[in-house]
Amino acid sequence: MRIFRWRAIGPLLVFTLLAGVLWVLLADRIARRAAEEIGTAIVGAKVEIQKLHIDLTNGDVTVRGLTVASPHEALKNLFQADELTADIDVLPLLEKKVVIDRLAANGLRFGTPRLTDGRTAGRPDGVTARVLAETRRWSEQFQVPAIQLATGKIDVGTLDPRRLSAIPAAEALSARADSSRRAWQTGLDSLRLAATIDSATATLTRLRGARATDLAALSDARRAIDHLKQARGRVTALERGVTGGLAALRAGVAGLDSAKQRDYAFARGLLKLPTLDAPEIGLALFAPSAVAQFQRALYWTQLARAHMPPGLLPRAEQGPPRARRSGSTVRFPREHALPGFLLRTAELSFQLDPTAPRPKRYAGRLTGLTSDPALYGRPTLFEASAPAVTAGAMLDHVHATARDTAGATVQGVRLPVIQLPSLPMALDPGQGTAQLGFALRGDTIRARWAIRSTHVQWSRDSAVQRSTGADLLWRTLSGISDLQVDAGVTGTLSQPRLSVRSNLDAAIAARLRTMLGEEAAAAERRLRAEVDRQVDPAIAPVRARVTALQSEITGRLAQQRARLDQAQKDLESRLRELTRIRLP
Amino acid sequence: MLTLVKLLQSLVKALHSEGTPGQLAAGIALGSILGLTPLLSLHNAIVFALIVLLNVSFPGAMLGWALFVPIGFLLDPLFDSIGHTLLFTPSVTPFFTSLYNMPVVPLTNFNNTVTLGSLVFSVVFFLPLFFATRWGVTRYRATIGERVRQSKWYRAVTASKLYNIYRLFRPEP
Repeated sequence: MRIFRWRAIGPLLVFTLLAGVLWVLLADRIARRAAEEIGTAIVGAKVEIQKLHIDLTNGDVTVRGLTVASPHEALKNLFQADELTADIDVLPLLEKKVVIDRLAANGLRFGTPRLTDGRTAGRPDGVTARVLAETRRWSEQFQVPAIQLATGKIDVGTLDPRRLSAIPAAEALSARADSSRRAWQTGLDSLRLAATIDSATATLTRLRGARATDLAALSDARRAIDHLKQARGRVTALERGVTGGLAALRAGVAGLDSAKQRDYAFARGLLKLPTLDAPEIGLALFAPSAVAQFQRALYWTQLARAHMPPGLLPRAEQGPPRARRSGSTVRFPREHALPGFLLRTAELSFQLDPTAPRPKRYAGRLTGLTSDPALYGRPTLFEASAPAVTAGAMLDHVHATARDTAGATVQGVRLPVIQLPSLPMALDPGQGTAQLGFALRGDTIRARWAIRSTHVQWSRDSAVQRSTGADLLWRTLSGISDLQVDAGVTGTLSQPRLSVRSNLDAAIAARLRTMLGEEAAAAERRLRAEVDRQVDPAIAPVRARVTALQSEITGRLAQQRARLDQAQKDLESRLRELTRIRLP
Repeated sequence: MLTLVKLLQSLVKALHSEGTPGQLAAGIALGSILGLTPLLSLHNAIVFALIVLLNVSFPGAMLGWALFVPIGFLLDPLFDSIGHTLLFTPSVTPFFTSLYNMPVVPLTNFNNTVTLGSLVFSVVFFLPLFFATRWGVTRYRATIGERVRQSKWYRAVTASKLYNIYRLFRPEP
C-alpha cells in the first residue's frame, strides 16, 4: 500500500492557487475588517475604514476614509482622516509583527459630528471595557456641590440639647463651685479663729487690770499677740487659696460664655445654607466639565499603559474574537528583538476646528509608538506646534514605573458650550484659549485644565421654571463677557483632590449672599434664640452661685481678718501703755 | 437536521469505503485535529495537506472533523487551561520566547492558550483515537457491515451525486 496519494497533488496545488487568488482578491477587505475590529477593540468605539489597500511588494499600506468614533461622546468622532499612508517592513510580518517605518496622515479632523452612536466599550471582559469602567469610577469619586438656587429655601435642622456644650459645662462648674465652697468652709473651720480671738480677749481683760511690773501678764499678752499673728498668717494662706479658686470659677463662668458661642456656631451649622463660598461655587459650576477632561486624559493614558506595558515578562491579553473561546494570547518579548508593533515616525497634518469657515491646518509628529516600550528603549513622543498651538506628549513606559505626560495649549479655537449644573443657563465661550496639562507618574496624578475667553455668550434654559433667584443671577452673569476657569487635580488616583476656580465664582457668591442674606440672618436669629432658651436656664444659676460664693467667702474672710486685727491692735495698745516709762 | 443527515451519510460512506480500517482510522484521527483546534490556524493547513496527500480516508477525515467540532467547543475550557499552564510554565518560557521571535511560527497562533491547549490535546489524543477507531471499524465490518451494505437506504446514499465527488479522494488500494 502506498503512503502518498500522488494524484491529489494536482487538486492540492489548484486549491493552494485558488487560496492565493482569493487572498489577492480579498486581502484588502480582510485586512480592512481586521483593522476595524482591532481598532474598535482598542479604542472602545467604532473604527470605520472606507478603503484599505495593501501593496506588499512595495511595503505600502494605504487607508482612506478613516473614522474613529469617540468613546466618550455619543454623536461625535474622535477624529477622521482623509488618508493614511504607511511604509511597513515586510519581513517582520512573517513574525506576526507590524513595523511601520513612516506613516503620513493627511486631513486629520478632530471632534467631527456623526449620525450614530459609535461607542462600543469593547468586549465586556476586555481591557478597554475595564479601563473605561475604572476611569468612570475614578471620576465619580469627586463630590460636586450643587447650588440650591431654584428654591432658595433655608432649612433649619433640629437642635438637640444633648449636643450643646454649654449645658454640661454649666453642670460641671456648678459641681466645682459646691466643692470649692465645702473646701473653703472646712478651711475656715480649721483655722479655729474664735478660740484664738477669745483667748486674746481674755488676755486683754487681764492686762487691763495688771501693772507694769506684772511680768507674767505682759508675757501672756505678747504670746497672745504671737498667736493672733499666726492666725492671721493662716487666714492669709486660706485667702490666697480662695482667691485662686475664685479666679478659676470666674474663668469657668467665662468659659460658659465661650461654650455658648460654640453652641451658636453649632446651631449655625444646622442651617442648610446654599453654597456661598467662591471655591465651592467654582466646583459646582465647572467641576463636571473639568472632570470630564481629566477622565478622558486618564482613559487614554491607562489604555496606553494597558497596551504598552513596561517590562519584558510574558504577558497575556485577550485572544482574538471568534466562535470558539478566545482564550488568552501570550506575548513573549525578547531583548534586541522587534516589538509586536512599532510605529517609528508619523507625520500628522490636522485641523482642530473643522467647522470653522476657514479651518487652519496644523502639523504634528509622533515617534516611537510601540507595544513593547522596553524593547524599543525610548519613550513615545508627540509634538505639534504652530503659531497658535503647542502640544506635546510623552509616554515613558521604558522603566518599571510608567511616566506619562501631556500638555496642550490651543489659542483661537472654538470652545464647546458649557452647561452649568444647578443653574438654568449655559455659556458659550466662543473662540478662546484652552489648556490641558496632564501628568501621571505611577499612580500620582497632577493635571490642570484651563480655558480663557473674552467673548462669552450666555443662553437661558427656557424649559426651566423661572424664579426670582434665577432672574437675579441671570442679570448678574449675562453681563459678564470674560471667562477664566482653572481646574486642577492632584494626589493619587485613589485619593485625588480637585480644585476649580473661575472669575464667575465671586460674582455668583456675592449675588447669592444678597439674595439669601436676609433669610439666613432670620434663621440664624431663630437658632440663637433656641440656643439661649436651652442654655440660659443652665448657665444663669451657676453664674449666680459663683457670684454669691465669691461675696460670701471674701466677706467671711474679711470679717475674720478684721476681728484678728482688732484683737491684736487692742493688745498691742494696752501693752504699750503698760510698758511706757513714766518720768516722775 | 440536514447537518445530521450529512453526518450520517459521511459515516456510512466512510465505514463502507474501500479503504482499510487503518486508513479510515488515520483519516478520522487527522480530521479530529481540524475539529478540536480552532480551524483558522496555520497548523490546520498542514493537517489538511496531510489529509490530502497521505493515503488516508478523506471521508474519514471529514467525518472526524465533523464529529470533533462540537467536542472541541465543549472542551474549550479544558484547552484554555492546558494552554495557560503550558505557556506560563517558567521552565519552557525560553523555548516559547524563541518560537515567538522566529519567522512564520507566530502565524500558527501557538501563543494562544486555546490553540496550543487544543493542539497538544489532539496530538496526544491522536494515537489512542487511531487505534480505537481502527479496532472499531474492523469489528464493524466483520459483524454488521455486510448487512448494512445490502440494505436499501445504503444504496440510496451511495447513489447520490456527492458519492461521486468524494470517490476522487477515496483511499487507493
